[in-house]
Amino acid sequence: MGGAERSARKRRQSQTAGNRAPAVAQHKSADRKPIIIGVVVVVVLLGAVLGGVIYTNNRKNTTEGESIATSQLDEAATSAAGADTAFPVKRDDAVVVAGKNTAKATIDVYEDFLCPICRGFEASYGADMERHMAAGDLKVRYHMLPLLNERSDPPGYSLDAANAGLCAADAGKFPEFHKALYNAQPEEGSRGWDKQQLAKLGQDLGIKSDAFKSCVESSKYNGIIQSHFEQVRNTPYLQQDLGGGQQGFGTPTVAKGQKVVDTSNPKWLDEVVGGTS
Amino acid sequence: MDVVRPSARVLDIIGTVARLGLAAVWLISGSIKVSDLNQTYIAVQAYDLLPTGTVSIVAGAVPFLELALGVLLLLGLGTRLTAAISAVVLLAFIGAVAQSWARGLTIDCGCFGGGGEVAAGDTQYPQEIARDLGFLVLAGWLLVRPRTLLALDGWLTTRNAPVEPVDSHGRT
Repeated sequence: MGGAERSARKRRQSQTAGNRAPAVAQHKSADRKPIIIGVVVVVVLLGAVLGGVIYTNNRKNTTEGESIATSQLDEAATSAAGADTAFPVKRDDAVVVAGKNTAKATIDVYEDFLCPICRGFEASYGADMERHMAAGDLKVRYHMLPLLNERSDPPGYSLDAANAGLCAADAGKFPEFHKALYNAQPEEGSRGWDKQQLAKLGQDLGIKSDAFKSCVESSKYNGIIQSHFEQVRNTPYLQQDLGGGQQGFGTPTVAKGQKVVDTSNPKWLDEVVGGTS
Repeated sequence: MDVVRPSARVLDIIGTVARLGLAAVWLISGSIKVSDLNQTYIAVQAYDLLPTGTVSIVAGAVPFLELALGVLLLLGLGTRLTAAISAVVLLAFIGAVAQSWARGLTIDCGCFGGGGEVAAGDTQYPQEIARDLGFLVLAGWLLVRPRTLLALDGWLTTRNAPVEPVDSHGRT
């Protein structure tokens, strides 16, 4: 305080002195201050940038090493139905086929584990679909695709999760694994779950085999998932109006035969199973 | 000789408005981005401009850089340098939006939150660029004439700036 006052007074003095006879001393102090201010500005900005990057990175990494909850997306609805895995599930290349072969209706469900609307779709219709699968009147072909693979930080969650889904199907725990991952869905732009966490989820759900763990960690099915995805996204009948006159493939998409099912109609499932779609 | 030009006081006031206006822009845009860092990542990623590893770094840095520029402008500390850096940042933003437009990407700039891919009919490239150009004008003013009222610069540096015009006037 006192120092500041003194220096202010000194400044005023030097200023009045400078007015009379432009002194070299005044120029010196006037030249140095902008430099100091400039250095302060640069330090503040660099500090903000570095601090920001470190903070953001740390914040995103808080989920590292955490266990993915084994709780199911629609716990109440499925346990009420008592249907859990009372239907056969097997992997067919990059597709998981669930339900009895004798089922009258077969649908294809195209999803991405990072896609929030897919989560909403599963929350709304997952339990009903399982009920129909258990009753033997519906077969579902799940296509888990890496459409949003770039949307996690670091990228790759969609593909890792899709691969882990296929591994879980091999290990006989696909429905539980699928529902747990949707229940614990990471936000787009967040870190996602890494392979170790995905493998741990499978073990927590009761998968004992080492084959599952190595399947997840070695990204065993990445290749077939990628080529399947390329094929799906270029399938003409799966192209939909994405708004603004744009056509394209999106998730979730449900198709029966070679026709996309309009899932905005709340009765779509009844109509599919009833055979009116 | 010609005394038609506005007085220094008026120019100071205009500069002050420009400084506080640009400060508000940075503080608002920065705090929206900081409040949803995941969304900021999506926004940066959608420009499809940076190699994979650097998206995360840029998305972490930009919100805090904006906040720091806002604080410096609000305080009026190093106004000319801060304005210059603001202008560089704004030019980079304009360039990023322009390349998205030119390449036919359909994204929202994410300038004030949001961002990421949008439907083809929902892009607003001209408006986004025009808005950034407006902010660039504010930065440009401060770059050319950084003297403003209520600024730390004024308190910290020797007050020879107001004296100078009188001096030169006296001499001529």
